[in-house]
Amino acid sequence: MNGEELTEQETALYDRQIRVWGADAQRRLSKSHILVYGMKGTIAEFCKNIVLAGVGSLTLVDDRDVSEEALSANFLIPPDESVCRGKTLAELCCDSLREFNPMVRVSVEKGDLASLGAEFFDKFDVVVISCCSLATKKLINEKCRKLSKRVSFYTVDCRDCCGEIFVDLQKYNYAKKKTDGTAECELQYPSFQEAISVPWKSLRPKVSKLYFAMRVIERFEEAEKRKPREISIEDLPAVLKLKKELCEEQSLNESHIPDTLLERLVMGAKEFPPVCAIIGGTLGQEVIKAISSKGDPLKNFFFFDATDGKGMIEDISNPNLLS
Amino acid sequence: MAESTVHQSRSRDLDKLLLRPGNLVAPTFEPGAQLRDDLQEYARILVVGAGGLGCELLKDLALSGFKNLEVIDMDRIEVTNLNRQFLFRLEDVGKPKAEVAARRVMERVSEYDSDDKPIEETVKPMVDGGTEGFKGHARVIIPGSTPCFECTIWLFPPQVKFPLCTLAETPRTAAHCIEYAHLIKWDEVHSGKTFDPDDPEHMKWVYTEAVKRAELFGIQGVTYSLTQGVVKNIIPAIASTNAIVSAACTLETLKLVSGCSKTLSNYLTYNGVEGLHIKVTEFVKDKDCLVCGPGVLLELDTSVTLQKFIDMLEEHPKLLLSKASVRHQATNLYMQAPQVLEEMTRSNLNLPLFELMGKVPRDIVHVTGTTSRDGKKASCLRKLCLVFKGADAVTDQDMAVGA
Repeated sequence: MNGEELTEQETALYDRQIRVWGADAQRRLSKSHILVYGMKGTIAEFCKNIVLAGVGSLTLVDDRDVSEEALSANFLIPPDESVCRGKTLAELCCDSLREFNPMVRVSVEKGDLASLGAEFFDKFDVVVISCCSLATKKLINEKCRKLSKRVSFYTVDCRDCCGEIFVDLQKYNYAKKKTDGTAECELQYPSFQEAISVPWKSLRPKVSKLYFAMRVIERFEEAEKRKPREISIEDLPAVLKLKKELCEEQSLNESHIPDTLLERLVMGAKEFPPVCAIIGGTLGQEVIKAISSKGDPLKNFFFFDATDGKGMIEDISNPNLLS
Repeated sequence: MAESTVHQSRSRDLDKLLLRPGNLVAPTFEPGAQLRDDLQEYARILVVGAGGLGCELLKDLALSGFKNLEVIDMDRIEVTNLNRQFLFRLEDVGKPKAEVAARRVMERVSEYDSDDKPIEETVKPMVDGGTEGFKGHARVIIPGSTPCFECTIWLFPPQVKFPLCTLAETPRTAAHCIEYAHLIKWDEVHSGKTFDPDDPEHMKWVYTEAVKRAELFGIQGVTYSLTQGVVKNIIPAIASTNAIVSAACTLETLKLVSGCSKTLSNYLTYNGVEGLHIKVTEFVKDKDCLVCGPGVLLELDTSVTLQKFIDMLEEHPKLLLSKASVRHQATNLYMQAPQVLEEMTRSNLNLPLFELMGKVPRDIVHVTGTTSRDGKKASCLRKLCLVFKGADAVTDQDMAVGA
């Protein structure tokens, strides 16, 4: 794990996946450091996948206590009440994750993520956050971008039976295998702030409705100074009113954001386990790609809705806005 | 925290789907607490396999509220399983997969009701999933409406089989050298001794021989890892693909059992090799399907003998089947070969087919034989639906059927 070559133990354990992405990619994985915030169902799935894959280390941040709703979708939390008492969500998940792969260093960091400085974030190669307000997403994203080394940044959110992933790899170079050798590819990603600033009207006509719906909910929670997901059916009229205002502001036809979709998201603040598995699986794969520099990474939003089983990738970026 | 409160809160997500009406629900959907409780108490799910997909499925199904899960697996746990089959630990290596998986799931889920009474269903939907590396699929089979397994069997890629002459005389690839050592040289040197792919000594022997052969023919690429892969037909596997496909299967299971939403219609493919691609295709039933198709309809007189029937198949424009063997339900009415079975069934040829089939007015038979296509002879299996003209409505079951 610390040397250049994979140990015999690693080669045996990771045999089946080395046959997929090669020993070189596996070595890079074993040297990577991931930071994760917000231990809900989707993040639990994501952590399972990257720990099984054999990353170098995983640091969990979530000082919340265990709640009833957490038990329903987070399979890392033991059902035994006596075990849970006195421990935070991160601490409980940490214990479970260590069992999945003793070769990965899983640890907990206490404190408010937003108040941690640059030296802290500099320790990581990948930062993944969930259950964050609009302000926090922008803040953490900027902290990552200000570092001298390139840190991959992801946000993930699941509500009702749908989910959204956002990816920011900044300036990303990777080699792509073609039929006649390899080609060097470069992708330029916008920050979260830049992406959501792209005028709605300039997006492609059939862009996923979930993109807009999520932005409306995000803005509502921010305007009302709510914690993420602190929203219920009573808020629906106000949410619909906000949607109208935003559509007018952006000169977007209201049909792009169906009321029924907003209603689902408002009422479905909780997560749905199988959807968490799909989104967590997809996110796991994206992070593995970014660390190993193998495969085309997702750019830059992914949406999934269980009601029709469709997964959509949307490239929401404006070349003119990028420096 | 009272037990009932925990249960109530735990199913809060599911309640959103099961307690309210909706636009995408099935016609038989009846929202209510009864449905949710029935789902948990009565629905019995059989999970075939406790491996990569099985572990994920058990977790997803248990979290989705299913309480009666049964899992089958004939294998034992190996170290190479641990990178994705997360219900297993290093100390479990060697133990039976199904037992360990069931125990781990039970440790995480609360009480199990042993007094389950399954509701009789004549239609048993099946959800099927598969993965390989970055690719996978999930699909729903509802007998009678979606294509059956047989209808879509053409979707499976052809099995990789090397011609014997290539292995014996003209190898070109590393895999050829390995299969030569495995399939030909092993028997030459160890006649009588069965090759055991799980025995490292056997595998090492095959590897050494494969290397020798490769050197002889100037072929590169024989490694121990490749040898294992070719001999054991190892499918590369990672956790995240399994997570995605199992979850899709669980979602469909939940929808099928509860009717709370439209089901996947009907085949989902996932491809994460380059970027990310998910597509849902609506395959249709194959009308000529041997299993779920209606079969070629033939009207017969009750006096027609089995011999006459076999002769008719040769002339029938849709079949043109010669040297037919006939099978009805679990019985071979007549077999052209091998000799011993031909002799045993020969006496049926002079009997009326109607009587041989238990005097039912209509039933299915399967026939095998040879047909001519583009001048080439090929063996084929066909499904026939036989209708007997002038048969009585009351069937006479008192009939001795020939061997």
